[in-house]
Amino acid sequence: MTIINVTLPFGLISKVNDYSTIINEILKYDIIFNILKFSTSSSGINLLLDIPEEEIATITESLKKNNIIVNKKGRITIDLEKCIDCGACVSLCPTDALSMGGVEENNQLEFIEDKCIGCLLCIDSCPRHAIEENK
Amino acid sequence: MTKIGVNLTKSYAEINEKIKNGDVVVVTAEEMIKIVEEKGIKVAAEEIDVVTTGTFGPMCSSGAFLNFGHSDPPIKFEHLWLNDVHAYHGNAAVDCYIGVTRLADKSPFMYGGGHVIEDLVSGKPIKLRGVSSTTDCYPLGEIDTEFTIDDLNQAILCNPRNAYQRYACAVNSTDKTIYTYMGKLLPNFGNGHFSGAGSLNPICNDPDYEIIGIGTRIFLGGGIGYVIGEGTQHNPTKRYGTLFLKGDLKQMTPEYLRGVHYEKYGTSMFCGVGIPIPILNEGLARKTAIKNDDIITEVIDYGVPRRDKPILKQTNYKELYSGSLEINGKKVKCSSLSSLFYARKIANELKKWIQEGMFFLNPPAERLPTDTIFKPMKVTAELKFVKDLKKEAIICYEDCDIKVVAEKIIKQNMNHIIITNREKLLVGIVTSFDITKAIAEDKNELKDIITKKVITTMDNDPIEIAARKMKINNISALPVIDDNNKVVGIISSEELM
Ligand code: SF4
Ligand code: SF4
Repeated sequence: MTIINVTLPFGLISKVNDYSTIINEILKYDIIFNILKFSTSSSGINLLLDIPEEEIATITESLKKNNIIVNKKGRITIDLEKCIDCGACVSLCPTDALSMGGVEENNQLEFIEDKCIGCLLCIDSCPRHAIEENK
Repeated sequence: MTKIGVNLTKSYAEINEKIKNGDVVVVTAEEMIKIVEEKGIKVAAEEIDVVTTGTFGPMCSSGAFLNFGHSDPPIKFEHLWLNDVHAYHGNAAVDCYIGVTRLADKSPFMYGGGHVIEDLVSGKPIKLRGVSSTTDCYPLGEIDTEFTIDDLNQAILCNPRNAYQRYACAVNSTDKTIYTYMGKLLPNFGNGHFSGAGSLNPICNDPDYEIIGIGTRIFLGGGIGYVIGEGTQHNPTKRYGTLFLKGDLKQMTPEYLRGVHYEKYGTSMFCGVGIPIPILNEGLARKTAIKNDDIITEVIDYGVPRRDKPILKQTNYKELYSGSLEINGKKVKCSSLSSLFYARKIANELKKWIQEGMFFLNPPAERLPTDTIFKPMKVTAELKFVKDLKKEAIICYEDCDIKVVAEKIIKQNMNHIIITNREKLLVGIVTSFDITKAIAEDKNELKDIITKKVITTMDNDPIEIAARKMKINNISALPVIDDNNKVVGIISSEELM
């Protein structure tokens, strides 16, 4: 299973239940998936979904066709001046976008933007307020 | 207890002589592991003079004593604030203690005592506001001023509990994200947090307190500090030893004293501590070669807000540093709250100080206790549980008519009606407000007005825990259920009054 972060932009929402657009789109494929998190943010309604690896490509494409944003990149910035390389954010990240390397490694925080799915779970875990949501 | 002096291979004086001559051999606790592996304990004990340790993590029991000198006319503080953070004043006129977890009055949770200390050490100006009820000798009633660390007579970091020997790994079994002093914990074992520095941790390298004692000179916050006793809650028998530390804040650097804030918990401060272990005998060579695999600790469920939290399994720092552990067959991502990067930096910095002849070692003036335990708080009020205060729940079945529910609310004078199936298993809850609303909106079906996501409690929950659930969810009653989701009563805010 792989985690994806999907956003239904506010522009497309007229009723509260509109988030079901996302679910209905996925239900078409008759697969087992988990909803890990439901939230609203400045950009729209967010769902964090756990989906079988082999279906990712099809589902991503199908969601995108409906103007649903999948794994929005560039949502966070890490201020390395503030960061103290503690690692508190690392375990929150559902992908490996945030890591410290193994014990043998340098153990400084590494952020791989390409792996970030923009779920924002890490933001309020940072004791130095070093992770910010890009506005 | 290990006797000092057995198999003595070196003395403090000999080691200090080598430091003076510049030929002392110093390694970090991580490097020592490899040396002992390659050369064996005997050779390592002969060749290595000092092993340095380090740790850098949130240490809530930290703070600083400050002395401002006198104003003219003089003031005896009754209350004082540093950058809007209330400092403790219960000493002489112009002494105070600023504790790291104290939150700023106006922007709590963003700024606290730990940030004040970081700003102070950074040389930034700090706002001081003080008030006094005035005396004949201290006539000034109020003061508003600004100072930097250079304006203070003394600034002494004084931490009653630092450098815990080990930490448990915290996880969360509940279905909600919780915010704790062990950080943000995702529901259903979504992640885990631990702290400490594993094989670099000072006490782990001297578990019998042979060299760490009262008066031991150490690295503290980038300057020099001292161990002044065992820390509060020192619990060596359970391998939860702690240290009481002090040092001159004026010599310290902000790199190793960092104010932090944990969401919905509060503020604290990362404090850098490093202790040198002189290799006086073979026993110390063996002990300082401790590996992460040898440091056993537990995985604990922080979803249970009680003093004694369930232990889920044993683990060790090797597994914790691997980035994930297994709980109930599920792979759970875990990460440290304290910084291994900085712990290493501290051990290396201290190593450099010793190699360059800037830091000498001294034997402790007194040894620390090795047999104390950590007792729970003596609470005189008897702990009350939900089962002691719950009432009988007024129950309606899910297929019941709204009118019947309304009648029951009036007849029993109850605000909450619990909806169950025929087996008394919880289905939902309906309040008198829901009924009023249903009538106003002309709804007749119970199923349209039921609240299905119900916050519940259990017989053996202490009432304070039930009360907090009501408070954070802004509700006034909780159905009491058993392990099988069967309704066994109700508890409302009235009973808790
Ligand atoms: S927003 Fe944070 S937690 Fe989410 S994927 Fe990106 S880095 Fe990881
Ligand atoms: S939690 Fe914040 S300070 Fe700690 S490693 Fe992550 S970004 Fe850095």
